[in-house]
Amino acid sequence: MFTQSLMLPYTGIFISLVGYLLGMWLFKISHGFFLFTPLLVGMVFGIAVLAIWAKGIGSTTAAVYTKYYLPGGNIIFWFLNPATAAFAIPLYRRNDIFKKYWLDIVLTLFVGGFISLFGIQMVSKLFGLSRVSTAAMLPQAATTAVAMPIAKGVGGDPAITAMACILNAVIIYALVNFLIKVFRLNKLSRVGNGLALGSAGHAVGTAKALQLGSIEGAMASVAVVIVSLAMDILVPLYVNLFMK
Amino acid sequence: MDKKEKQTPAKEEKKAAPILIQMGIFGAILFVSQLISDLFPASFVVPTPLVGMMLLYILLATHIVKLEQVEKFGDFMISLIAFLFVPSGVQLCGSLGLMKREGLQDICVIIISTIIMLVVIAYVGNFFVKMHQRLAKKSDAVSAQNGSHHLAN
Repeated sequence: MFTQSLMLPYTGIFISLVGYLLGMWLFKISHGFFLFTPLLVGMVFGIAVLAIWAKGIGSTTAAVYTKYYLPGGNIIFWFLNPATAAFAIPLYRRNDIFKKYWLDIVLTLFVGGFISLFGIQMVSKLFGLSRVSTAAMLPQAATTAVAMPIAKGVGGDPAITAMACILNAVIIYALVNFLIKVFRLNKLSRVGNGLALGSAGHAVGTAKALQLGSIEGAMASVAVVIVSLAMDILVPLYVNLFMK
Repeated sequence: MDKKEKQTPAKEEKKAAPILIQMGIFGAILFVSQLISDLFPASFVVPTPLVGMMLLYILLATHIVKLEQVEKFGDFMISLIAFLFVPSGVQLCGSLGLMKREGLQDICVIIISTIIMLVVIAYVGNFFVKMHQRLAKKSDAVSAQNGSHHLAN
């Protein structure tokens, strides 16, 4: 009886909000336990609800997702457009840094990006990933919408790429402070750190970078754009040179 | 630098554009960005939000758009970003079959890859920036007077 209504956006929006708020509460009462990061809890909660729902009505999770969650999920997802564009604001606030270090920024993202590709391929080999999966892992520094077509273009499975990009954001969001401590990033250039957060953590990484400082936030914003362009150029190049 | 930042909040309270106008500016920018994004080929995807970011930056840098006309809405959007990513995460439920097959290896590789990207770019960035500063110090005595190098980092 309620099927038609459940296919309306209310459902997806409600599920997302409940999951995220649940995460916020768990995060608070656990005093910041990283696995209770609201984003991660929201994700897991949403998937769990859909999976149980699917079992309950004898359908697949993917079908329930498409039919009941997607209408609402798409509305929330759409707001990533203005939110991502909005990163121009913290970037412009530190235009002084951008104008001064633009060359360093480009060099860092292209050179650092290329080196990272080696690392990613090696780790993929270490864990016995197929060529398809490895190729999918390479472009993850780029933002999801750019990384997926790149992966497809070099023979990778874009679903794995999407997983990589999303988990990148979640990992950075949950563990940024810990990672900074462990790898002594606080001793390093703030410009470099910002670039790193934007590359590794995408938009969420940029939001975290902003919490660290206006310089980091500005650099992370730039990184999201430039590292995507860098991956567009470097990944096909890398695959041709080292994966044939 | 600090003095400027303390003065501007008071100025901005008076001049911040109404929220609908801010949304209108974003709406217009995104609309145009979508059209520009369509011009790029499938082999070189430039998604709408990235075009939007670049466009907004250009408009701000050329003073066609003023900060106080966009920052309330913009900052608000950015503050929501973790929540806005929830649907992307839930999307992974379509790959549950994939997860069962090689999910564990994928997750391990991704975790390590994230750390690799973070650490490599941070250290490479540090290298280039420090080099830049050293070269600048050598050739530019005036900058040392302003102390701009210290402020920048």
